[in-house]
Amino acid sequence: MAAAASARWLRVRCRLCLPLKSRRADPCEQAPSCRFYSESAALPNVEGADVTGIEEVIIPKRKTWDKVAVLQALASTVNRDTTAAPYAFQDDPYLIPASSLESRSFLLAKKSGENAAKFIINSHPKYFQKDIAEPHIPCLMPEYFEPQIEDISEAALKERIKLRKVKASVDMFDQLLQAGTTVSLETTNSLLDLLCYYGDQEPSADYHFQQREQSEESEEATEENNEKSRKKAGPQLGVTWRAKNNAERIFALMPEKNAHSYCTMIRGMVKHRAPVQALNLYTELLNNRLRADVYTFNAVIEAKALMVNEKFEEKWNNILELLKQMVAQKVKPNLQTFNTILKCLRRFYAFGRLPALQTLREMKAIGIEPSLATYHYIIQLFYQQESSAKGSPLIIYDIMNEVMGKKFSPKDPDDDAFFQSAMRVCSSLRDLELAYQVHGLLNTGDNWKFIGPDNRRNFYYSRFFSLLCLMEQIDVTLKWYKDLIPSVFFPHSQTLIDLLQALDVANRLELIPQIWKDSKEYGHTYRSDLKEEILMLMARDQHPPELQVAFADCAADIKSTYENQDARQTVPDWPANPLNYIAVLFLRAGRTQEAWKMLELFRKHNKIPRNELLNEFMDNAKASSSPDQAMEVVKLASAFSLPICESLTRRVMADFTVSQEQKEALGNLTALTSDSDSDSDSDISEGK
Amino acid sequence: MLWRMSAVLPLRLLSRLPLCSGGPEALAAAVVLLGASPGAVRFFSLMHLSRAQNNIQRYFGTSSVIYNKKDEQSVPTHEISKETESQDSVKENTKKDLLNIIKGMKVELSTVNVQTTKPPNRRQLRSLEATVGRLQRAPEDAPKKSESLSPELVAAASAVADSLPFDKQTTKSELLRQLRQHEEDSRAQKEGERPKVSFSNIISDMKVAKSATARVSTRPVHQIQFDEGSDDYGGQEKTADLRKSLRKNIFKGKRLNIFDLKAVTEEAPEAETAPSLWDVEFAKQLAAVNEQPFQNGFEEMIQWTKEGKLWEFPINNEAGFDDDGSEFYEHVFLDKYLEDFPKQGPIRHFMELVTCGLSKNPYLSVKQKVEHIEWFKNYFNEKRDILKDSNIHFN
Repeated sequence: MAAAASARWLRVRCRLCLPLKSRRADPCEQAPSCRFYSESAALPNVEGADVTGIEEVIIPKRKTWDKVAVLQALASTVNRDTTAAPYAFQDDPYLIPASSLESRSFLLAKKSGENAAKFIINSHPKYFQKDIAEPHIPCLMPEYFEPQIEDISEAALKERIKLRKVKASVDMFDQLLQAGTTVSLETTNSLLDLLCYYGDQEPSADYHFQQREQSEESEEATEENNEKSRKKAGPQLGVTWRAKNNAERIFALMPEKNAHSYCTMIRGMVKHRAPVQALNLYTELLNNRLRADVYTFNAVIEAKALMVNEKFEEKWNNILELLKQMVAQKVKPNLQTFNTILKCLRRFYAFGRLPALQTLREMKAIGIEPSLATYHYIIQLFYQQESSAKGSPLIIYDIMNEVMGKKFSPKDPDDDAFFQSAMRVCSSLRDLELAYQVHGLLNTGDNWKFIGPDNRRNFYYSRFFSLLCLMEQIDVTLKWYKDLIPSVFFPHSQTLIDLLQALDVANRLELIPQIWKDSKEYGHTYRSDLKEEILMLMARDQHPPELQVAFADCAADIKSTYENQDARQTVPDWPANPLNYIAVLFLRAGRTQEAWKMLELFRKHNKIPRNELLNEFMDNAKASSSPDQAMEVVKLASAFSLPICESLTRRVMADFTVSQEQKEALGNLTALTSDSDSDSDSDISEGK
Repeated sequence: MLWRMSAVLPLRLLSRLPLCSGGPEALAAAVVLLGASPGAVRFFSLMHLSRAQNNIQRYFGTSSVIYNKKDEQSVPTHEISKETESQDSVKENTKKDLLNIIKGMKVELSTVNVQTTKPPNRRQLRSLEATVGRLQRAPEDAPKKSESLSPELVAAASAVADSLPFDKQTTKSELLRQLRQHEEDSRAQKEGERPKVSFSNIISDMKVAKSATARVSTRPVHQIQFDEGSDDYGGQEKTADLRKSLRKNIFKGKRLNIFDLKAVTEEAPEAETAPSLWDVEFAKQLAAVNEQPFQNGFEEMIQWTKEGKLWEFPINNEAGFDDDGSEFYEHVFLDKYLEDFPKQGPIRHFMELVTCGLSKNPYLSVKQKVEHIEWFKNYFNEKRDILKDSNIHFN
């Protein structure tokens, strides 16, 4: 839209130089033609002069532009910088976050700073009276949250309602009643709105920001946690409807009640999870021959589905019954009606599938365009468990065919969950083509805004990238890697492991040191599974010498992280595998000194070296023709009572010129080993 | 050929607007050529094309009215515009004219759309070559009959084909096929009489639908490829088709059949009520759904502008100055309120000074300024007797 605005803006100038007689009604005509218009205009004027006289010149009306049109046009020219962190994180270089954890705390810190400032200003308005801005900037001035009207009157009540002071409003209402003043129906209704919306609790002091309770969750758990966090993100956490609360009391006190009073009560009860009371009140409403509005119906539908101890079928019939009542009462359903039904059907598992499809068709048939949330519910219903995806794998294709190329606008609070669930399905179906489609939809128009908060974006992109690693050619995957990381998301360690495996499959192991560097940057320095994967891939095969040198550097770096970790932890622990891998890598790169030091570490941490490693050490010793080192290897093997000890001893005897002393020592060692042959089997299985 | 086209070019460039009155057929021809010239114009999607056509068509409305007033003989193109309006009266020379038009327009449109700084001659030649190149590429598509097209168009098309040094028959039939299609389209549009549904909409809808079906056909192939892990492509295609035909679209089938389309869509008079707390909070929730951190500094500035922390664009000296939307000239040019005052004399002189002062006053609203002048009018009216005594006439 901004691009179009800029194009139009540029045209204004062209337009002014057009002395054309015709009304150029359509501003979408292409700009380039202007160049010719200015010339060609001469001809008709000359010709027209002697025939019809001068044509009337209509000066186009001055266009007024939106105050942000210029900025929007400029903003549309800025593309994402793939090499940098997102704009929101750009700050003092020291503060720029490099991992998902840091980025989260960065945003929280920034927001809490703003909130703190606002809190100070609003709680001490008298110190912030000086208005230096000209023209006046209202949003920088303190807001008044304290009621200004002191006396007891309906106006004072209205003010308190407006300021959302639940308790003060109720007190004022009571005082008015005691004074014998009747409060108008309208004011009472808005008081009921307030009480029902907040469940008769003071609204939490929100400064337009609620810290969502989203800890670093594992990806698999994200779905369920989203449900939780959504509920928590509501204005009141866990407020339940209490019987005989102020709302009910005031409702009972009201001399006359209209439909609005009933409706708001029903909605409040459903919102705060009191479906039974809500349904009773709905019956009462019907008995009083009042009409519920569509929002109330939506709430009642939810209440029906919330009822416990009812079978799915029963609930579904109740919902259908309600829909029929809507028709009877001539209440037009809206998107929320159907979304509520689908949302509830989600909990019906397999039973909900057919009704869900019928509901979707009903929506389409009566011309209500489904929103992203609608599709999200359907996807959730049909792909509830990863395993059950087999049964209905085709639904998602229909949905994608339907939504491809569409631009969405927010219509439902759950709209931002669609992309995540769609990508989850892509990943469980292992369908890269479909994933590309979903991603294409995400990049259509402003759809990218529906990707949701941070954790959803991370989930979406990790799934997408893992799928790429799994299915795509390595070059394309690497291109995506460069494109998405770090400017879109910071990778999980699992994401990086997926990438490593893709590199392994494509035989591009030379990139591993680079990946290790990146993973250090993205905060995975102490992820042992990632480090083990890296070391394993590097140590598995022999490589050309230059690569071995690079690998050895990388291994040294990883080794240092283990050592640092030791310093941090109280119980230093070196897993056996990394020790093996690092030693091998050092050996192959010719860093013999360090490799021998690694062997010390085995002994120190009581870990068992692998046979292959010992053989390599032996080779190395042979290459440098040092019987002492060979002896050392045999000693180590015998210390762990390894069965390989014997063969090693034989090799030493055959390959090295050993002194008498050493021979004796060797004889002792072998004897020792054969003694403990019986329990060496278990050692092997442990060591492997 | 180059010489001929370049001779036509300057004239046609100058007379671009009258040319447009060639009616939908000529225009369609132009669009065909434009669409057929790839390379530089390739980025031009079907939708753009149709929109351009649409706009130009709309433009005829005014231009043909204008030219109706003119002498028939003075402008040859006018004949065409009239001629296409009443198709039955075919004159001998129209054929040539049409040919000219098609050529001229084609050159023009392609240059216009490409917006090149190169000399138009070379460009036009190249695009022509490209056109022919592309036309040759699809010779099989050459269609059959030409009944639906008017004879002069056929002649024009064949003339165009003749002017090109390539496969003439192919070019001609390709042109005709396109022309017929566009004629059909334009006729359908004319007859349809649906002013709101524009041609471009139809075209764009068609495009979307087509790509969607293409996707449907490719989709299950990949699916099965993965599932079965076999490489037998042909066999898979068959299975895919079968599966596609077997499975139902989720949007087709039984519905609840509770709501009635008519009842839902009919406009019920909604009682205007102030938004309740529920509505306000729901709107807030919706706004939060697609809230994303800023992508760049300009977006942040947009936010600041909306919050009122930044000067609003365009930056001028009217910032924060709001006088019920009245424009600056209403503040400055106040002479029109002096009509009821004498044209000359001391009162006039006085009032001119008053308006001069008022026009420089930024603190009064337009309404206040007018009231101020009104006050003087009433004042002089009241003092009419005194004025008469001193030989000054007020009205």
